[in-house]
Amino acid sequence: MNPFPTPRSERPACLAASSRQGLGRLVAVAGGMKRRAGRIAAAPVEEVLEALGEGALLLDPGRGLARANDAAGRLLGWPGKPPRRGTGLAALLRRAARLDAAQRRRILACAAALQGAADAAECEAGGLILRFRRLASGQTLIVLAATAGDEQAPRDPLTGLANRRAFHTSLTAALARPGASPVLLLLDLDRFKHINDSLGHPVGDALLRLVAERLRGRLRAEDLLARIGGDEFAILLEHADGVAGLAERLVELLGRPYLVEGHLANIGVSIGIALAPTDAGDPETLLRRADLALYEAKAEGRRGFRFFRPDMDIRAQARRTLETDLRRAVALDQFTLHYQPQLDLASGRLVGFEALLRWAHPTRGMVSPGEFVPLAEEIGLIIPIGAWVLREACREALRWPEDITIAVNVSPLQFEDGPGLIRAVQGALAASGLPGCRLEIEITEGVLLHDRKETLETLHRLRAMGVHIAMDDFGTGYSSLSQLRSFPFDKIKIDRSFATQIEAEGGSGKALVRAITAIGASLGMTVTVEGVETDVQARFVDDSGGHQIQGYLVSRPIPPEFIRALLARHNPHPGGPPHAGGQPHTGELGKKSSLQDNLGSRA
Amino acid sequence: MTPELHRVIYCSRGDIARDPSRARGELQRILAISRKNNAAAGLSGALIFASGNFAQVLEGPRAALEARFERIQGDPRHRDIKVLEFTAVTAREFPDWSMAFAGDLTADQQDPLAFVVFAGAYAHRASGSSAAVLGLLHGLVQREDIWSFA
Repeated sequence: MNPFPTPRSERPACLAASSRQGLGRLVAVAGGMKRRAGRIAAAPVEEVLEALGEGALLLDPGRGLARANDAAGRLLGWPGKPPRRGTGLAALLRRAARLDAAQRRRILACAAALQGAADAAECEAGGLILRFRRLASGQTLIVLAATAGDEQAPRDPLTGLANRRAFHTSLTAALARPGASPVLLLLDLDRFKHINDSLGHPVGDALLRLVAERLRGRLRAEDLLARIGGDEFAILLEHADGVAGLAERLVELLGRPYLVEGHLANIGVSIGIALAPTDAGDPETLLRRADLALYEAKAEGRRGFRFFRPDMDIRAQARRTLETDLRRAVALDQFTLHYQPQLDLASGRLVGFEALLRWAHPTRGMVSPGEFVPLAEEIGLIIPIGAWVLREACREALRWPEDITIAVNVSPLQFEDGPGLIRAVQGALAASGLPGCRLEIEITEGVLLHDRKETLETLHRLRAMGVHIAMDDFGTGYSSLSQLRSFPFDKIKIDRSFATQIEAEGGSGKALVRAITAIGASLGMTVTVEGVETDVQARFVDDSGGHQIQGYLVSRPIPPEFIRALLARHNPHPGGPPHAGGQPHTGELGKKSSLQDNLGSRA
Repeated sequence: MTPELHRVIYCSRGDIARDPSRARGELQRILAISRKNNAAAGLSGALIFASGNFAQVLEGPRAALEARFERIQGDPRHRDIKVLEFTAVTAREFPDWSMAFAGDLTADQQDPLAFVVFAGAYAHRASGSSAAVLGLLHGLVQREDIWSFA
């Protein structure tokens, strides 16, 4: 049975012909040498095996492996060094990552047939044709070739492991065996993408090879190991005995450091486990359930393993419901924007608003972005939602006095399609008639982590449209300061966690706010502190040289209909830029506190 | 200067026998094997075992060093492996040693200096600790009486 019945091309015929030809050539050379020297000289045989261009194994009678060429290693997929001379056929096959237990048995049975009268035998296993031939010397030659339809080899060329397709075939076969209770483990590397991005693909590839070797080294011969995606591996065990212990050891082992191509790499692995037939009897459901368990393992902090549990299905169902609702919300226009003002400390005037997304769910009520934005990002809905936010915010801002700006948060995912984001911004500005200079795009540090070159290009193009760029949640990432060098931001917004620390006893909030403010100001950036809730905090920001505050002290986010009243209160003389000189702040800030009461903030 | 000469310094917590004489036997086997393999691969270095912890300096050609380190990762007799330093170097620290050993196998004879160094290596960032481990190993390896058992 050919497990890969893809259309035939001309290639298989060529393969078969060259295989026969190669075999004859080798027999002739080996025989000739035997006559001349009385024994087989090492070098010429090796040359012939390599010249064969196909996989070849030469076995000494009763003494195991004599030679194997590189092609055999590639086809059978043994990780690391080739097996030692003298390794028996059964042991050779155990090391072949491409083969599962049933395939190994089939090949051994085929080899056993050769012990009898037959001089030649042939079998097919794991997408390979193996041709056995007993030579005059008493040695056995095995020529390996990929089967017809195997143009896309079912092994992963990088690690030599089975690939996704081969794994699926084996999984299907394992589940079909009567009384079988195989176990599926799905592994996903943590932080691999970061290594790949920062150290480059060659290092990432070498790291994947080390991971494959560590896994192979810890598994039994009858376990099937496959690389089924970029940094995803799958393991199929014949039974569930000791699977938790194995998963725990694998998590520990893969979490140990790696020295690779001159670099130190620290990664981890998360594992999801599903048992057949308890969790599922068919490959698709089993894979899906192991994947759900993997998702939970990742969600629960990575570097761990989880068994599938039925409630994971329930939670997944809840997620799917939310997804359906979210898609409907986009269609039914259930989103609204609330606006939180930003106050200029020097003038005491409101200078802008940040648009904040709210979802008025028909039965759940107001849903906060924290609950649905991650899902929207995961399923790609953030793109249309983000475009709507831009359009709506610009439309609203046009109704405000000309000196009031509007800030819009943009997700890292929107930046992944730079031209699309630029079109969305252009469209929003054009449709509303809002000048670009009144729009401020807020990005988080996450935006700059991936594909920096293209991201910076997008930022510069936005800047060329007059749009201001603000760095949001500043200080929460691990490379905040270096991000400031990468792009001339117009504004940095210090994360709210710093504001709450300003009044904390012995906290580092004060020193950090002062330091960040000084850096921002020296780079010519406007410094806004978010989450300011008290007069003390506001005064400290002012004394530290910070320019703007945003937070409950000024106002919580409000629906658009309250904006006019808020502006009338804070900016009694409409229009005109904020005053350059300082003002007595106590009065101003006192007024803000009463305003906060009026609006009933701190909900 | 050997091209591609690198050095790695790491520490780990040992999972070896508690009984001193069995621990000694296990360590002697570890050392014998590592000395044989290191000599063949052109690697040199030093190992300390103190208060249940290992710290090792391993140096040599990069590829051989990485391969040896990978083998060490597969060893279940230790865990919590923390690399304190991995860097290109111009010269070896222990050129004469396929694996010098400084060890303390009885719990009531903890080397106070080693104790402090390991506590620091696990508590703080790697930088600083690597220099401390290196200094410790240099100091101990010179005290011939300590490693002579191996």
